[in-house]
Amino acid sequence: MLKLSPKTILGAVGVLALLVASNFLKGPPPHIALPAEKVFAVFGFPITNTYIASWLTIVVLVGLSWAATRKMAAVPRGVQNLVEAFIELFLNFVEGIAGRENARRFFPVVTTIFLFVITSAYLSLLPGFTTIGIVKTEEHGQSFKVVEIAGLRVAFVALGAATVTEASGEESAEGIKGELVAFLRGANTELNTPMALAVLSAIFVEYWGISTWGLRGYSTKFFNFRQLRQGRIMMGFVDIFVGFMELVSELARLISFTFRLFGNMFAGEVLLGVITFLIPLVAVLLFFGLELLVGFVQALVFAGLTVVFGVVAVAGHGEEH
Amino acid sequence: MEALGVNLPGLIAQLVNVFLLLGLLYMVLYKPMLKALNQRSTRIKESLDQAEYIKEQVAKTEQQVQERLEAARKEGQAIVAQAGQAGERFKEEARQEGRREAEVIMARARREIEAERDEAIAALRREFADLAILAAEKVTRETLDRAKHRRLIQEVLEESSTFKGEGA
Repeated sequence: MLKLSPKTILGAVGVLALLVASNFLKGPPPHIALPAEKVFAVFGFPITNTYIASWLTIVVLVGLSWAATRKMAAVPRGVQNLVEAFIELFLNFVEGIAGRENARRFFPVVTTIFLFVITSAYLSLLPGFTTIGIVKTEEHGQSFKVVEIAGLRVAFVALGAATVTEASGEESAEGIKGELVAFLRGANTELNTPMALAVLSAIFVEYWGISTWGLRGYSTKFFNFRQLRQGRIMMGFVDIFVGFMELVSELARLISFTFRLFGNMFAGEVLLGVITFLIPLVAVLLFFGLELLVGFVQALVFAGLTVVFGVVAVAGHGEEH
Repeated sequence: MEALGVNLPGLIAQLVNVFLLLGLLYMVLYKPMLKALNQRSTRIKESLDQAEYIKEQVAKTEQQVQERLEAARKEGQAIVAQAGQAGERFKEEARQEGRREAEVIMARARREIEAERDEAIAALRREFADLAILAAEKVTRETLDRAKHRRLIQEVLEESSTFKGEGA
């Protein structure tokens, strides 16, 4: 005779319920698009869902900072305490890599990168991201439920209601058929945003280098003709080659920064969509946890690498100095 | 690149966004926060220095208090010793005084006793003379005149040296 504890029974019932639910609470197959989708246009300039997410990130960060520094108390409490603890922790992190003096110079840019990456990643895990928007009528797609909010017809992804259809964008009792253009999509899930961050990082790394060594001193890192002028042909060409490699690595950084962040964020979004489609409800929670980790790691990597490149740019390069 | 979603307007728009964020955060976060952190670290340093100073001061004061207590204790002991000596002296003086007074009183008492004894002896002598006269009158039956008789007894008494010696 098998003896069952209440826990086992509860677990079994839960699994059974999930199996039953998975038949009609399934998410729709994820709609995967690399470019950000245009939600609306202002004077002909397309406003994409990633811009809106970027602005949301900015609003959240600036709002939180404002709340933290609005009334600064000598003995910090509440949100000021939290933000101060983070600032101190991160300042120590930057100081650990760059040393005390450089850390103060690098800190604002590096922290901005970290905060932007982690906040946009975490915000994109909130409900509403990639699931609420307008329907762009296309040849193929799914049917979406529509509600009218303040005169705007808003479509949303309903669990279990999704069926892939081949019909054109006609409206039926089930909803509109077509592709969903979400209002919000993780800011770093399109290439322009990580690229903008990479450009920001590169601009400041070069700026730190130039402000430390002067324009002439810093440019010898890339264009070094000193040995050649002194008549040492072989060493001269080696120097020129090394300078060229430095230039290439500088550009490669931009690309690796861009695609590393984009790849991780985009993959995370697709992964969550696919898991919601394959196993409904509970399983996706695990991947939310994973995405929390990925968002933190990517933010730390982007910020950390910027510090490292900054240190390299500020440090002496070669015996000419 | 277009298929990947990279385009110049998009890049510029996001660049504007990140620079805007950098500027805003610099204003509302980094500047006030770093200032506060610097202020706090200097204040903590100052407080620590001050605490050190106060600790030194307290130690110094404690030492001073100890010294003063020690001095007071010594002074107290000296006073007590002095008081003891003074008391001893007073006692001695009082004793001497008492003894002197007692001697005076005893001397006076002795003088009075002697005076009274002399008085008693004189009275006794008179009585005895009268008695002797009376007795002699009875024996001789002849009455001598009183003055002659008294002179006679006086003479007898003068002669009896033992009696006189006792009376002196």
